[in-house]
Amino acid sequence: MRRDNDVLEGMYRLMSLTRALDRVVGAHDGHWHGLEGEEAVAAAVYYGLREGDTVAPHYRGAITAALAKGADLGRMMAGCLGKTDAYHLGRHRSDVCGPPEHGIIGLYGGSLGPPLGYACGAALSHVMDGDGDIALAVFGDGTSSRGDCHEAMNMAAIKALPVVFVCQNNQIAISTPAPDGNGGPIFERARGFGMPGARVDGNDVLKVRAAMDEAIARAREGGGPTLIEARTYRVAGHFVSDAEDYRDAAEIAAWRDRDPVARYRAFLIEEGVMDAAAMDALDAKLVAEVDAAFTAAQDGAVPDPGDLMPEDVFA
Amino acid sequence: MRMTFQQAVVAAIEDEMEADAGVFVMGQDIGRFGGPLRSNAGLFERFGAERVIDMPMSEGTMAGLAVGAALQGKRPVLDLMFGEFLALVMQQFLDAGAMHYYSGGAARVPFVLRVKYGIGPFHGHAYDHHSWLMGVPGVKIAAPSTPQDAYDTMRAAVRDDNPVLFLEHMALYHAGRAEVERRAPPLPLGPAVRAREGADVTVVASALMTKRALKAAETLDAEGIEAEVIDLRTIAPWDEEAVLASVHRTGRVLLLSEAISTGASINDVAATIAEKAFDALEAPVARLAPPPIPTPFARELERAYLPDETRIAAAARALARWTA
Repeated sequence: MRRDNDVLEGMYRLMSLTRALDRVVGAHDGHWHGLEGEEAVAAAVYYGLREGDTVAPHYRGAITAALAKGADLGRMMAGCLGKTDAYHLGRHRSDVCGPPEHGIIGLYGGSLGPPLGYACGAALSHVMDGDGDIALAVFGDGTSSRGDCHEAMNMAAIKALPVVFVCQNNQIAISTPAPDGNGGPIFERARGFGMPGARVDGNDVLKVRAAMDEAIARAREGGGPTLIEARTYRVAGHFVSDAEDYRDAAEIAAWRDRDPVARYRAFLIEEGVMDAAAMDALDAKLVAEVDAAFTAAQDGAVPDPGDLMPEDVFA
Repeated sequence: MRMTFQQAVVAAIEDEMEADAGVFVMGQDIGRFGGPLRSNAGLFERFGAERVIDMPMSEGTMAGLAVGAALQGKRPVLDLMFGEFLALVMQQFLDAGAMHYYSGGAARVPFVLRVKYGIGPFHGHAYDHHSWLMGVPGVKIAAPSTPQDAYDTMRAAVRDDNPVLFLEHMALYHAGRAEVERRAPPLPLGPAVRAREGADVTVVASALMTKRALKAAETLDAEGIEAEVIDLRTIAPWDEEAVLASVHRTGRVLLLSEAISTGASINDVAATIAEKAFDALEAPVARLAPPPIPTPFARELERAYLPDETRIAAAARALARWTA
């Protein structure tokens, strides 16, 4: 990978922002789907996309994706609280569904899988427009068991669509360990569908980024889809108030020691890209920004019950 | 120009594709094969593989592609072949129906989903499952009954900024030609039409049921009973104003359905009439619909299953004569 300090710093910023969201929103919302342990995947996958690119993010990391695509932090926080200032006007939740005006395809139902098809549709539209934009479809190891996932990959390969499929494999779907949900290595399916596939260490932001760079370039040049399996680990619970009585605490502790953020910080210091003080200052600044946005959102206006109008459902 | 229902649907799509480069069609076997029952005949030859896109057997992802492309501003028309495959695209339709509202008005999903269905000469794939979608906010359901209506309604459906289920009844599909004017849609989706005026009893119908209701109305006319036939055209959202106005004129109403009686889309019409036109009613609201049984195969069972002209006339006659 070509050394580019802007990219390296930009990815650190997204990692730090992801951790700040966990800290601030997670402290207020017991249903927040935390990213501890998976920050490297979110930072590497969502950094540096073009404005016209379309992203169907994994719900675990959906706010990072929206912010990386230019969404406003204040409106995203308002969306976590059902406030009027939200992109969704309080009608839906922004923690799993980002704004389409920033190229985000969120979850409009609780069912995972269909967004992979929507990403393929966006990619088809990009091909028709000849704009060189691409679509990103990010999903977990749980979703990879769904027919939607298999169909979308098959479709993208057949139609040579500019889609990058990223499986954010955190090795557990709520409480189901990946071996109980996937019959074999996920990335190896790519060959059966007729597209390149690779497994990368999801805790190594540089490895994930290198795989993304290659896949994105291929997609933009008309070379069709790629499947990247980024193997990481969900150190966090499924959600904040998850009792987590279904897995071994020692296993969690072992993976907590492989913290991708600490690993990347060591690299950046070693390479002289950023020093510890600069990163600490950035971390503190982002926590303060997220906290201020969240606090402001808490004081924001709530929707008027009189605004519950059936005609708003139709365009 | 005289056309069948099938030719009128294809002509409408052709004219919309001509008018708007963002309109494209997709589905299984719609290219050189021309689509099941010739549902896309001639489009591939005219517009080529880039706008008439053959698809693998992946209904859910086809619908996903349509939704994703529609979000980008395209106007996809997806031929799902048969209505019984609706089960395979329900999640996509649920999502699509919610997108405009949930995005605070930012998202538009102009997507037409075509399905062939209904009892007819083809003796298969007859299931009418459209009522499932009555429980899906944000989705429109169109069910034309004549070639001209099929033409006009398809053009209106393609121009609509919402997901639309477009029902193509197989008993109407190749059932004779009628004059079709290739024109801009005179009505958007939504308004019902009075297919026949009458003062004694209202019959609310759509698609094949409209055709049968009009025949029954002729029989009744010979007996001195005037039936007014309201052709819904759009089953969701249905035209409450037109139906209630007719009920106020006649005081008696018969609702026809090809979907089974349990959970049928007409049940919502019945409930609304009871709520909003109770004072106008001179007889109980009546329904004719198939029993809650999977669509049977043998012709004898099939005939017993679906409301026919004789039973429609009998039910309307009983209503017209009903006294408290």
